This record gives sequence, structure tokens and C-alpha cells, in this order.
Amino acid sequence: MRHILLTIVAVLLATAGARAQTPHDIIAGADKVRNPGEPFRSTTVLTEYVQSKPKDQTILAVYSKEDKATGQFRNLVRYVEPPRDAGKMALLDGQNLWFYDPAAKSSVRISTQQRLVGQASIGDVLTINFAIDYTGTTLGDETITDAEHQTRNCWHLDLRAATPTAVYSRAEYWVEHGTFWPIKAKFYSDSGRVLKILYYRGFTQRLGAVRPGGAVIIDAVDASLVTTVEFTNPTFQAIPDFWYQRDYLPRLRPE
Amino acid sequence: MHDIARHLATALVTGLLGIAPALAASDDSDLDRIPAQLPPPSPPEQTSSSSKDVNYVGDALTLLGNRSGLAVPFPPPDPASWENWLYLDTRDEWRLGEEWRLNYSGRLNFRSSNSIPFPTHENVRNDLRELFIEWQPTEATWLELGRVNIRNGVALGFNPTDFFRPRTVVEALTADPSVLREDRLGTLMLTGQTLWRHGSITVAYAPKVTNPSAIYNIRDELSFDPGLDRTNAEDRFLAKTSLNIAEQFNPELLYFHTGNRTEFGTNLTTQIGRDVVAYLEWAGGTRSDLIADAFRYGEMTGTLPAAVTTLLPNSTAARFRNDLSVGASYATGNNMTFNLEYHLHEAGFTSRDWSNWFNTSVSRGFIPGVNAALWYLRSYAQDQQEPISRHSAFLRWDWQDAFVKDLDLTALAIVNLQDASGLVQATAEYHVSRDWTIGGLASGTYGGRRSEYGSLPGEASLLLRASHYF
Repeated sequence: MRHILLTIVAVLLATAGARAQTPHDIIAGADKVRNPGEPFRSTTVLTEYVQSKPKDQTILAVYSKEDKATGQFRNLVRYVEPPRDAGKMALLDGQNLWFYDPAAKSSVRISTQQRLVGQASIGDVLTINFAIDYTGTTLGDETITDAEHQTRNCWHLDLRAATPTAVYSRAEYWVEHGTFWPIKAKFYSDSGRVLKILYYRGFTQRLGAVRPGGAVIIDAVDASLVTTVEFTNPTFQAIPDFWYQRDYLPRLRPE
Repeated sequence: MHDIARHLATALVTGLLGIAPALAASDDSDLDRIPAQLPPPSPPEQTSSSSKDVNYVGDALTLLGNRSGLAVPFPPPDPASWENWLYLDTRDEWRLGEEWRLNYSGRLNFRSSNSIPFPTHENVRNDLRELFIEWQPTEATWLELGRVNIRNGVALGFNPTDFFRPRTVVEALTADPSVLREDRLGTLMLTGQTLWRHGSITVAYAPKVTNPSAIYNIRDELSFDPGLDRTNAEDRFLAKTSLNIAEQFNPELLYFHTGNRTEFGTNLTTQIGRDVVAYLEWAGGTRSDLIADAFRYGEMTGTLPAAVTTLLPNSTAARFRNDLSVGASYATGNNMTFNLEYHLHEAGFTSRDWSNWFNTSVSRGFIPGVNAALWYLRSYAQDQQEPISRHSAFLRWDWQDAFVKDLDLTALAIVNLQDASGLVQATAEYHVSRDWTIGGLASGTYGGRRSEYGSLPGEASLLLRASHYF
């Protein structure tokens, strides 16, 4: 009887603790699940499905490092595939956004809006720390089905852009109770239209913790389009700060 | 499409109202779209991530429509009415140990046209764009020796700070300045660059190894000549620094010296809001005007007689002149980007210069060589990659994944602001597969008979091309 009472008390305390999480804590907790605090490199394989059939495949090498001053990730993205895009680079660092084309040997500054164009944006969005760019409110608890058809008890959050660098103006976010695993996100345009629905999946041990090994991105504008993402070969890598500038882009070499 | 939108709207509304079961049903419909079919196997990791080489074979067929009754008759030979280019384009890099690399970039062309005989050596031409050794003695320092393509500038239509651009474009398949940059010759030089967190310094020295040569035409290009007379006929020195002052502000400052001419330049960019990037590219230095420069060059290279300098009024006196590109890009939420630029080329033709150009042909065009000398001015400006007119505007529109996935559309216009004539061009490119891209390009010039573009022999052109990457 005493054990049962203690168990009930422990469960109540745990539940109360869980309920005491602020939206920021939840978002920051999920950020820590998605990305480590140390700089790392990974290869992102994007496969586009049109009418459920694989069509294009893009491979990106992404070099990520948290900016200790802002808490946000800075990304260098190098195109590996398809062959026509090999060697193209993107610097995605707050509002310091540049695109380098080796054919023209020139770098062009791009806007936050252009950051969303093309596949590099996916490699980028999957890395950024939501807790820095968004303020959240909890809409409630929800049990949802994840990409692998498991039910997950989640916090359901509404995220609003808090900085000019936020890629989307609004998002909905589902984070699992207890584990802080990000399960699902829905991204909105400035006009309030749903653009993408994203499911994280393939949680495995990588870069020192259990993290998602990929994602599925469902295009809400083009009903025929779905993109799967696989993170492969994640590796901690010392990345000097001077890499994150326009003039380094032509120098970024395959490892 | 409407059903999906309705489902999403329902999910959103019910989610906000906390009606979990209804939301779960909508989520399930999202999940149904996750493909069951596995993706195709990725290329082996080591191979794919260790290469940034790009190689492709392509073919481009151009059909050209020429204007008749030109205000200033075009000297013989007549422009081609068709050209075909079959080419192998290569950009490769080889690692030679930890600190050394060898870079090669070039295009081998097999060309045919109704303006050149077949078969002759003129059918084959190799464009050696780059060939250099790179040494990285420290983590943030690089030295390069060989033919290197250094390109400066943040504008799209005209790059005043792109100091190594004169004479480097070997053959223009398009009027799109951003594409022209892709097939231009580098310069034999020694470069050094060092980076740190808040900026970079780059220096380059390009020696004079030969004498200036006459402007090439399609009939006198050499098959495997590296063309150092185009790129290394003068000693040139460049120093530039880029400063990362703030996220949105990374100014670049440039100093350039060649012969008796010194120029300064700057590149400024900043983001305005989420959608707009504004930029300004400026260069200035002491020089004579375009007409004087062209006549001097024609005389020096033996193309024009000494007496030609009196053909048109010109200013041989060197004074400080500005070159400017100022503009902005605007990106929309549906993958479109617009660029609008104003270009100032202070050494270029004024309206009076244009009147003189046309009137001289009327009054003295009957004298042998006069019309050829007038057209030489325009060839010179094109060869130098300088706008011929003082004031112009540039408009470009890009749409990625237009209408269907993998279809990219581009349209551009270059407009002379003095006479309102212009050039328009539209391009469509479709990526059929991972390895194949096909495309088409249509361009035309418009304007009055006595205008910059309305006086050109080329009235319209159509280009079809296919590329196979491997």
C-alpha cells in the first residue's frame, strides 16, 4: 500500500513537473534533441517524390556550428548531387546569406525569402534552433500518429517568428512529452497558408544522443510532392569561425 | 488541391479548438502521402562527397535573323545566319597532397556555321578558362599560380569592379551577363588570399607576357591558343578587402592598377525586410572616354589608321570617370526573383556621341573604311565588356520550378535609357533527369533605326541546346 502511494505521488510529481515546462523549455529541449551543441557535418540526402514515385535526388553536405553569441546555428551548404549543381554553395548565417556558383565564380547575396528557394533550404531549416527564432505558446496536449505510425503523446505548440531571421513567420510544432523528441511541424507562409508539413522519423543514436535520422516533408501547396530526408554520416568536426563568410565559399572543399 | 487545403484548414481550426479526434483524422491523411516506395540508392558516399567536378557535353544550335537597311552599313563579312556548337565542358580539381591542388576548367568546342568553311582548323577551338596550382600553407591562407578567373562584383548586368573582365569572353552564345561569365578566360597571375573571422584580404598580380592584339572575329581565332594576348597584354595588380562589419553589411573595397590607370571600387549589399536585397557596385578612376580608348587601341593594334582619331569628337584627356551599378532584387513566395539595375558608364556614348556616330556615316560613309571604323567602336566596347552607352537599365526575372517541377524560366531586358531601345531575351531550361538538361533561348533587339539596339545587324535569334552531365 505504501509503495502504491509512493508511486502515485511520484507520478503526480512527474506530471506536475512536465506540466510546468514553459513553451520555450519545450522548444529548446527539442532543439537539443535535433542538434548537438558542438559543430558537426552531415550529408543530407533529399529524395523528391512526385505522385509517390521517386523523381529527383539532391545530396547536400551541411556544415553546422552554433553561434555562441546568438545561440543560432550557422550553416554552410555544399551541393554534391545532382551533377549540374555540384560545387554550388550557400552560406546561411542569420541575415548573412550568400549563394556561390562555381561556374560564374561569383557570390550573390540572397534574401531571407530566397533562402526558402531550392533544396538547400531544407538542409538549413532542419538545423536551425527554433527556440531562438520563435516564441511559442502551448495549445494543449495531443496524441498524434508519427511518421512510423506510432502514437505519441505530445505538447502542441504554436510558434511565431520572433526575429527577422526566422525562415517562416509561423509554425505549429508537436514535441513528445518526456523525451522532447520533435515529432511533427507545420510551416506557414506570411499570408497564413500552410506550406509544408514535416514529420521527424528514424530516431537513432547519432552525434552523442538519440536524434532523428531523417524526416518526411509533405508539400501542402503541391499535393503531388513529398520529400524524404535522410541524415547520413553525421560527424563532429571542428569548424573555424572564419568559414562563415562569403569569401570562404569558393574555398570549401569536399572532406 | 482544394480538398487538401480544406483538410488542412479543418485541421488547423479543429486543432485550435482542441478537438483532438478530428485533428487526428486529418493527420492520418497527411501520413497517407508518405511514400511507401524506397528512394533510389544514393551514389557511394565517398565518391559523391569528395567531388565537386562538373563535366558535361552539350550542343547549341543558333538561328539568327538579321536586320536589313541598317542606318550604318555593317562591314563585310555578313553576320552568320546559323551556328552550331558541340562542346565538352570540364571543371575538375585534383588534390596533390595535403596542401596542394591542381585546378582545370575549360571548354573544347566543335563549331560550324555558314560564316566559316568546313572542315578547317576554325571548326575546333579550346577555351582554356583556368589552369592553376593552389597551395594552402595555413588553414586560412591560399596562394594560386597559373591562369585564374578572378571575378568581382555583386551586380548582375554590369560589374564595374570586375577589373579582369576585358577581352575575356571568347564567344557569346547569349546576352545574359551571368551566363557570359561562365565561359570566359582567366588571367595568368599569382594570387594570395587570407581570411579571418571578420574579413579577408586578396591580392593578385598579373604580368604582361605579350603585346595587345587586334580584336578577334570568328574567322581568325586559333584552335588551341590559350589567348594570353587577351588576358596578359599588360601588367595588372589588384588588392581587395572584404569586411564583415555586420550580418547585413559586408563591404568590399578594391584597388586596381594597370598601365597608367588606377581605379578604386566598392561593393555594398544589404537586405531590406525579408524579400529585398539592395546592392551598389562602383568603380572610378582616371581615363579617357570610350571613343578615344577604342581609336587608340585600334591604331595600336594596326586595325585602324592613325587619321581615324579625328573621325568622331572624343575626349583623349584623362579625367576621373565613374562606373556604377545600383539595384535591388525582390523575391516572391513562389520562387520568383526580380532584379532591377541602373548602370552608369561615364566614359560611354552620350546622346550627342550617338548622333555623331550616325551622322558621320551619312556624311562620310561613302569613304572606304569609315563605316568599318564606326563599327569598330562597338566591337571594342563589346570586347572590353563595357556598356557602350552612358545610361542603361537592366531587368531580370527568374522563376524556379515554374508551372512544373524542374522547369526554370528567365527573362531579361537591357534598355538604353537615352534612346529607349533595348534587347530582350527569354530562356527556358528543363532538367529532364539527373543527367540531362534541355533548353531554349529567344532574343531580339528593338528600337528606332538610329538607336543603339535598333541599329544592330542582329534582330532576333533562337538558340536550342541540350546538355548531358556525367
